[in-house]
Amino acid sequence: MTNYVIIYDGTFVNLLSTIKYLIEEKIRPAKIVVEGKYNVSLFEEILKPNIFNDPNYIAKLENLSSKKVIKIITFVFLSNDKNKELILYYFILNTLKYKKNIIYYRNLLCVNQALKISKHVANENHKFKGFTRFQMVNNKFLFAKIKPDNYILELLSQHFSKRLKNELWIIKDEKHNILSIYDKKNFYIVNAKDLQLLELKNIEKNEKWEKLWKTFFNSIAIKERENRRCQMSFMPKKYWSNIIEMEGNDEKNN
Amino acid sequence: MFLEEKLKILADSAKYDASCSSSGSNRRNNNGLGNAAVNGICHSFAADGRCISLLKILMTNNCIFDCKYCINRRSNNIKRAMFTTEEICEITINFYKRNYIEGLFLSSGIIKSPDYTMELIIKTIYLLRNKYHFNGYIHAKAIPGANEILIKKLGKLVDRLSTNIELPTEAGLRLLAPNKKSQDINKIMHTIKNNTNKSFAPAGQSTQMIIGATKESDKDIMSKSSDMYKRFYLKRVFYSAYVPVNKDKDLPIITTPPLIRENRLYQADWLLRFYKFTVNDLFDKENNFNILLDPKTDWALKHLEQFPKEINKATFDELIRIPGIGLTSAKKIITSRKYFNIEFPDLKKMGISLKKSKYFITCNNKYYTNSEIPNKSIIYQNLITQENSFKKEFVQLSLFEND
Ligand code: SF4
Repeated sequence: MTNYVIIYDGTFVNLLSTIKYLIEEKIRPAKIVVEGKYNVSLFEEILKPNIFNDPNYIAKLENLSSKKVIKIITFVFLSNDKNKELILYYFILNTLKYKKNIIYYRNLLCVNQALKISKHVANENHKFKGFTRFQMVNNKFLFAKIKPDNYILELLSQHFSKRLKNELWIIKDEKHNILSIYDKKNFYIVNAKDLQLLELKNIEKNEKWEKLWKTFFNSIAIKERENRRCQMSFMPKKYWSNIIEMEGNDEKNN
Repeated sequence: MFLEEKLKILADSAKYDASCSSSGSNRRNNNGLGNAAVNGICHSFAADGRCISLLKILMTNNCIFDCKYCINRRSNNIKRAMFTTEEICEITINFYKRNYIEGLFLSSGIIKSPDYTMELIIKTIYLLRNKYHFNGYIHAKAIPGANEILIKKLGKLVDRLSTNIELPTEAGLRLLAPNKKSQDINKIMHTIKNNTNKSFAPAGQSTQMIIGATKESDKDIMSKSSDMYKRFYLKRVFYSAYVPVNKDKDLPIITTPPLIRENRLYQADWLLRFYKFTVNDLFDKENNFNILLDPKTDWALKHLEQFPKEINKATFDELIRIPGIGLTSAKKIITSRKYFNIEFPDLKKMGISLKKSKYFITCNNKYYTNSEIPNKSIIYQNLITQENSFKKEFVQLSLFEND
């Protein structure tokens, strides 16, 4: 049996359709990669299956397994894990066999990895529900920048569309260069390259409420209990650049 | 006085309250601003490593009482301030929109009388809910001695209502907070317990005890907690290591707050609430916890005759008494072993740490080390070195582990 490098277009539906095809045709992938984002070596054989997307496959999988299993599959797809496609291939292959009980087979590598990755994505999403900081732009809309490792923008937007339902807001994922734009009804995820936001050029720095927030942040800590390491382990440095109260905290920590 | 200075004073004087939790409520956004998240959300972490979830402030730090441990006591010569209701609403709304906070924690010194103070708190929160249409999380303090009708009014507006017991015994209270009566506090807890439902403080009530300001033992403290959990269905008891802010002949002379002790009490509190431990289990040999080991490990070492437990056979209740195995791990073990026989590498794959547990378990009748189990004093030494080698970080009470 040849081990193929399988190409797909980067979308969720195309990945699932590709995995379905591979399983049906009994093709073992060596890798599954996004078209154009992978340099093929001389010794690898490429396969780009000629298939139609099957948007119903996810529903079929859910019928066979459970909501929980589908959530894991979705969250793994949203991760930045380099092997996520291959992990999903094996995870789905085994789901066909073990159905909803798949999640208990932690001794299988693919299950173990899928659970870990999906938890990681869920955790990061949860953290950003707290760490996202909006700025008021021209008294009109709220704007936030985030730099998450995983593709959590859509999950996070679901959260804020309930919480800040009657506000206009935009969240920019600087890491993946995408924007989520909310118009008080729906949010739309677009490529940041496709949209120039002139108003973002003159965001007022250190406006009244930002200053007050920093005042509060500094007053609420108990000096006698200072513990910077603990602070850092809960709020990792990699997120600080967009957490306004942490500005200038770098020096204090060294 | 500028708003900034007020905020500085009134956050500073509220910081000794340990409660930060924003969980337990699922209040919806009723076409206004905000909602609550059942599991709570931490928005930031202060320089002391504690989670910041709520805008924790006092309405005023003026107070007619003179509790000896408290920075705001009447006899202290400090700068006093008071927010207007509108100011509190404006700060809450503007912080919330920018996602700095999950909601408001409003407490206050007592001005004029408990009733007068309560009425002002109610007015503020009423405005926030009805004029500003704020649906985020609100935790308010009920003032001991206030009329029951006011407590009932406030409960309908907030997600959590609480009152602080502060000291575990009557004698302690008499010594340090002579103006506070434990009957008053009990009465409030009773009222809250009897009224809690979906539209009255849905996240229930909590309380706080100051640790190390009086001479009570850990056993006294845990007995009080256990008693309050049973009588008032408290969601949480918070423990707050005493920070010496005042000088008084009745206060202990210490320079640093007893943080490790506080941590041990939190760990033990967890054992009471979720691990089916009783106060008698915890203190069958001594009245204070071992500072060097967490209470569960310490308990296990004192009861080595009950170990090792076989991972593939032990019941759920037995599993959760194994040091290093928490509720989640125990659940994972129980569900997984229906499908396969668990070996040590599988435990690692499940993310279950063997650091502590390896001394207390077998997998298919084999010890981790393959050899006989070492004797008690060796285990004790190993565990202590482990616990103290990676310089214990003070445990932050996680909001993620269900309140
Ligand atoms: S009642 Fe006691 S603890 Fe509360 S603010 Fe006044 S002096 Fe402090």
